[in-house]
Amino acid sequence: MEGKMTVGAFSATELFDWLVNNEDFLLLDVRNDVEFGRFRVEGPYPFEMVNVPYFEFIEMEEESVAKVPKGKKVRIVCAKEGSSKYVGEILVNHGFADVAHMKVGIKAWGNLLAPILVAEGNDYSLYQFRRPGKASLSYGLICGKEMMVFDPAKDAQFYIDFAETKGCDITKTIETHRQADYISGSDALRRAVGAEIVAPDGDFQGAKFPFTPAVDGTVQSFTSGGPKVEILHTPGHTPGSTCYRIDGKYLMTGDTVFIQSIGRPDLGGMAKEWSTLLFHTMTHFFLTLDDDTVILPGHYMEWREADEKLVFAASMAQVKKNNEHIYAIDNEGDFYSFIQSNMRPQPEEYAKIREINAGLVTVDEEEQEIMDIGKNECAASQR
Amino acid sequence: MADEMKISKTLDLKGLACPMPVVKISKGIKEVEVGEVVEALTTDPGSLTDVPAWGRTTGHEIVETSQDGENIRFLIKRTS
Repeated sequence: MEGKMTVGAFSATELFDWLVNNEDFLLLDVRNDVEFGRFRVEGPYPFEMVNVPYFEFIEMEEESVAKVPKGKKVRIVCAKEGSSKYVGEILVNHGFADVAHMKVGIKAWGNLLAPILVAEGNDYSLYQFRRPGKASLSYGLICGKEMMVFDPAKDAQFYIDFAETKGCDITKTIETHRQADYISGSDALRRAVGAEIVAPDGDFQGAKFPFTPAVDGTVQSFTSGGPKVEILHTPGHTPGSTCYRIDGKYLMTGDTVFIQSIGRPDLGGMAKEWSTLLFHTMTHFFLTLDDDTVILPGHYMEWREADEKLVFAASMAQVKKNNEHIYAIDNEGDFYSFIQSNMRPQPEEYAKIREINAGLVTVDEEEQEIMDIGKNECAASQR
Repeated sequence: MADEMKISKTLDLKGLACPMPVVKISKGIKEVEVGEVVEALTTDPGSLTDVPAWGRTTGHEIVETSQDGENIRFLIKRTS
């Protein structure tokens, strides 16, 4: 081979594809140990990842290079791409053959959305948008030339582009609740394409943007009819928390219940009151659902919750089985004890994200990126 | 107190992006004597966690970190 090897570049989407295809490579994260400890790349299958901060390559080049196993493709991640290029060049100079750095940096991973088809009916298709950097899930329901989006992430343009590839327009953006852990894309979708925001009044009253209240027991529909989207008020994680049931079968639960664990009722500073609401929702709603209802949650804790197609969906029967210790609780007192014993601090930025998600404050793009990064903390129990 | 501390060298690293602030600090600290203090001025938000982490790795002491808007100032004492 002639000439000097160079450091290649890859996108977050490519990284996701390697992870889901279980390809053989080494992920070298060169951020400092604090940032790495706070937030790191996760995938559905085990893969080799090492953290050697870039400044160790500056201070102790030989020792640091020796920490990187040879013989594999090396894919480097850092905060903003400068340091991963820098380390990549050092590795190339030490004879590593296949080295590339991630374009944009870790925030590209944090924002990445990966769509997958969940279900197809006679006149609709339902997609799940997995956000592996946040472990959160949003949804798109397409019927004819219209798409409803549920709990969109901040990157509104992604959903707009997705709709375009499917030959449809986003007509509604629907919220299960006012999120505290990530910045919602609903208001951005409203401003960009005129999508109607549908959101529970209990969480969005006083919001600084127009929205249609999601009223319990009513139905949202497409111009041409299409599948029924039932609105079901399920308070607890927040007072307004609402589930949406599509075609009588697919239940988007937001942060009320997950495949593992349930949503925390303590994020609003009223743990006792909201715990009471949640217990009522569990016993009067979730325990009465058909076992074959498909639960489509707003978050996951770990990739192993995904099914064989890597969709985060599980039958109600499976969800009850996974969380037997929670679903078996038969009184409010024990339920609150369970909540209390699992309570832990919430990230400090959650209060501000909540305000942003009602349009009460606005922050610039850079600050949004910083606040929005990192895995969610929405489940009542950690596993 | 920090204000009374004698600064032996000032590194103006404003506008530089990662990894350059730490590259320059690493070089600059070697140009002062052990016990002397380097002042580093940065604007890269990443330096807020990277410089202390670099200090933990190298043993050089981050005597003071302060922030005024986007301007960040470190006082770093060479320890070895």
